[in-house]
Amino acid sequence: MSLLDVDGLTKTFGGLRALDDLSVAVDRGELVGVMGPNGAGKSTFFNCVSGVVTPDAGRVTFDGRDVTGDPPETLAKSGLVRTFQQTRELETMTVRDNVRLAAPDQRGERTLPALLRTSGMQDEERAVRERADDLIAAFELDHLRDEYSGALSGGQRKLLELARVLMLDPDLLLLDEPFAGVNPTLTNDIADRVRGLNDDGMTVVIIEHELETLTDLVDRLVVLQQGSLLVEGDPATVVEDPRVIEAYLGE
Amino acid sequence: MSVRERLPGGSVLPAGRAEQALLVGGLCILVAAVFLLTPLSATIPGALYVFFEVGILFVIYGLLVLGLDLQYGHTGLVNFGHVVFFAVGAYAVAMLSAEGSFEGVALGYPWMFALVVGVVAAAVLGAVVGATSLRLRDDFLAIVTLATAEIFHTLFVNFRGVFGGNVGILGVPQPVADLAADSDTSLVATLLLFGGVTALTLGMLTRLTDAPYGRVLRAIRADELVTRSVGKSTFRYKMQAFVYGAALAGFAGGLFALYNGAVAPGFFTIQVTVTVWIGMLLGGASNHRAVLAGLAIIMGLRLVSRFALDVSPVAADAFASVRLIVVGLILVLVIRYRPAGIWGDERELGVES
Repeated sequence: MSLLDVDGLTKTFGGLRALDDLSVAVDRGELVGVMGPNGAGKSTFFNCVSGVVTPDAGRVTFDGRDVTGDPPETLAKSGLVRTFQQTRELETMTVRDNVRLAAPDQRGERTLPALLRTSGMQDEERAVRERADDLIAAFELDHLRDEYSGALSGGQRKLLELARVLMLDPDLLLLDEPFAGVNPTLTNDIADRVRGLNDDGMTVVIIEHELETLTDLVDRLVVLQQGSLLVEGDPATVVEDPRVIEAYLGE
Repeated sequence: MSVRERLPGGSVLPAGRAEQALLVGGLCILVAAVFLLTPLSATIPGALYVFFEVGILFVIYGLLVLGLDLQYGHTGLVNFGHVVFFAVGAYAVAMLSAEGSFEGVALGYPWMFALVVGVVAAAVLGAVVGATSLRLRDDFLAIVTLATAEIFHTLFVNFRGVFGGNVGILGVPQPVADLAADSDTSLVATLLLFGGVTALTLGMLTRLTDAPYGRVLRAIRADELVTRSVGKSTFRYKMQAFVYGAALAGFAGGLFALYNGAVAPGFFTIQVTVTVWIGMLLGGASNHRAVLAGLAIIMGLRLVSRFALDVSPVAADAFASVRLIVVGLILVLVIRYRPAGIWGDERELGVES
């Protein structure tokens, strides 16, 4: 059974139909790429799935449960986590705090354990700190650990955002343009990490414009146009498809 | 503190700051108890009275500024009507505990019971305002809180049968003054007791915001959507921060009523909100000690100006305007040269100039 099942998703903004009866399914363990020209509805698709906007019609099923219209925090707790196209950092917090924040189910996030400073809560925070520092080191940000994330460069922000979502250990990770504005070396680096995560069993969906990286990386490509599914299938076949070439290059 | 936490690198949370405040608070309350429960008495030289009076008001307002800082400094909630929770706490305590008020309700219940109800009443009002407005954008919350404060102020003035109109509620018990041997001892004990309470509050809030709890609050201030998308129920946290701040203000109001022996609308004007806001911004929002220090500066100015009035060539009412101008100028200077406040962290508040 598929992990994520999107059925007949429709969303309009005023007179603009951003998503038009879109149906896509993602199987557990898959690595799927989503592409399409500007305004094809890729980000709206992510926004509807991750609960940032509520779709007008259609159903989103995650892990066998209907999650249509569930708020982002509920989805994140149940294992569906996303990143943002414009990287959003908590700029007034340090790199460490950015990553630590994402740790799920912390006792110290409730009033009483925080006030009483229980030893259980302190042990938990110790474990969270270790895990966060490991992730920060894995993304080679350790020299910036105590830096405020507002001071980070564009590429470093992409890495930090990845580290932060990985703290949640998601079942399904939605990455919105993880390579945008990132130099080629770092692009390959991020791609390798995504591949590694997928090899370890994480299901990943990536929106990306960078065609070459994407076709090399993913198992399956989904092409959107004007809010609907244009073509889907094996990356090599999809990029040769005349409809896709037409959508991207014009007639 | 366990042995393990004392080992180098053993504790994950900033240790010491909270415990220090808790210790100071406990000691102050102990000394106050000695003054109240033994025949020991204190004498204050005449010139120092005003310091004690302003000092007591400072530690009461200190509770207000700590609560406001939890709401605004840490969570980013703009509350322009903080005085309403202070007033509701004070009126609830006064009406429940007063005996033989000139006008308005006076039920004569024990003051401890009244104090608990006062805190609960302010918290409930906070919950109602929060539940209806916290989902709105920041500026709407500011307007709703400001309006709530004005509505309640009008209610207090106009419902004379209930709230006593402009006279307010008289005959509120003064438990500290009753226990103390004389009025000087009472002032000293009140300052120590209330100061101790404020220090305890400072310690508890420091614990709260040093813990992962505070991290979530600061994340909400930075970017609520990101905080939600990593799985935090931000509405619940905003609600809690707002209600805790309101309850603290209600508690401060109750203490004020029990110290002052009377409440009236004149004690709960927008001036109170303005004073705590300026104190918070001056000291540096999101730093508990800094906001207290900022408040001390603003209230110290009040003290200085009382003495300055005696030597100034202008009349008292003109002098009041001069004082406002001075406060305004200080605020302008701080915002221009230290936008995060005197002890605030500019990177933490995202206001790098």
